[in-house]
Amino acid sequence: MATTTAAITLTSADLLTDALSLSATNTLTKAGSTIGLDQTTGMARAYLTSTTPIDIFPAIVENGTDLRAFNGKSSWVYICNKSEDETEYITVKICENVIGKLYAGDFLWMPWSQPADVTNAANHHGDITIAPSVTTGMYAEFTCINEGVEYHAENLAIA
Amino acid sequence: MATTTATITINSTDLLTDELALTSTTTLTTAGTSTGVTQTTGLARKTMTFASSGVIDSEVLYRSDDYTADKANKVYIKNTSTTPAEYFEIMITGAGGTAGGGVTELGRLYAGDWAFFPWNATGGTKETFIATIAGTWVAGETWEFDGVNIAAANTTAADIAAQIDAAQFPNWVTSRSGAAVTFVSRWSMDAGTVVTATADIVIVQTGGSDATSVVSSAAMGTKSLSDIYIKPSVHTGMTYECMLIHE
Repeated sequence: MATTTAAITLTSADLLTDALSLSATNTLTKAGSTIGLDQTTGMARAYLTSTTPIDIFPAIVENGTDLRAFNGKSSWVYICNKSEDETEYITVKICENVIGKLYAGDFLWMPWSQPADVTNAANHHGDITIAPSVTTGMYAEFTCINEGVEYHAENLAIA
Repeated sequence: MATTTATITINSTDLLTDELALTSTTTLTTAGTSTGVTQTTGLARKTMTFASSGVIDSEVLYRSDDYTADKANKVYIKNTSTTPAEYFEIMITGAGGTAGGGVTELGRLYAGDWAFFPWNATGGTKETFIATIAGTWVAGETWEFDGVNIAAANTTAADIAAQIDAAQFPNWVTSRSGAAVTFVSRWSMDAGTVVTATADIVIVQTGGSDATSVVSSAAMGTKSLSDIYIKPSVHTGMTYECMLIHE
């Protein structure tokens, strides 16, 4: 069993009248257990030159009535915009819905349920996509630490 | 200008053959600038409890209409539970949906888990209509809507409209021009029909009066596209902490 921890600190001496000094740490475990997560996509570093959204983890696809194997399991996503240009951002979506924009240096850390879509039949699903704001090239880093992801069979036809 | 920094550290000595030791720090700035964000909800803490497991429901953690859309907002949420099986579902509204129409589950925060992510706060369109005071009014006649009851102070339409505009409505904000009061819903919503207010305004007339309130320019709203919902897995009480840092 692996032990992986994620910690955050949020600090500011002047955002509020009182100093902000928030810290939180958690150990990444499988859903509803104390067993550590043991799988990861590894840290990817990509140079993106198109503003078209791309799916950064294995796509969640329909397979008849079969629910996704890792739907509702524990997965954690880290995405960081490595640009140093403050005007450049990465738009992060799930299920084609915009979550938010990561400006230069920003990161996100969020759980991901790898959910199947209950309202769309055309592979919208819970895929996480990113799209840079410019075509001149932006670096992004991302990883997923999880209980498992669905790797597709060879030549899988996607509707 | 405030300076607020967020640092994430992800460590593991045994997830991979190589040690994982990631640290990333960012200064929270307004969209597209190097100017620090200056507003926050502060750190909130709330326990969600329901009467039974059958009536567990979500609540809106952050409503897009309350913030400026398309900015560099950041959300922090933590599940303070210490019971491994207890989790909060974190959901976001939008066009697609994985947790019912128009709602997508981002993920689940189990005991001790926290999340930190950007938030676009894209609202929808607010429902609106105009109510124009017309006809002959008698002082004391009442105009009722949205649980608010106005008794006409005199017979002048513009004065009655001013009384309506001065009132505070639970679900609407108002502005006035002469005898016409424009109502705008406080939140974006797709009600499915054009302005239910048409039928909801009640005027209690006295004998011989033809007091009326004419509804016009009614326009239906559209749903918000990024409200954040939170839903506990058990009804017996789960506590979360959250903070929004925003423009």
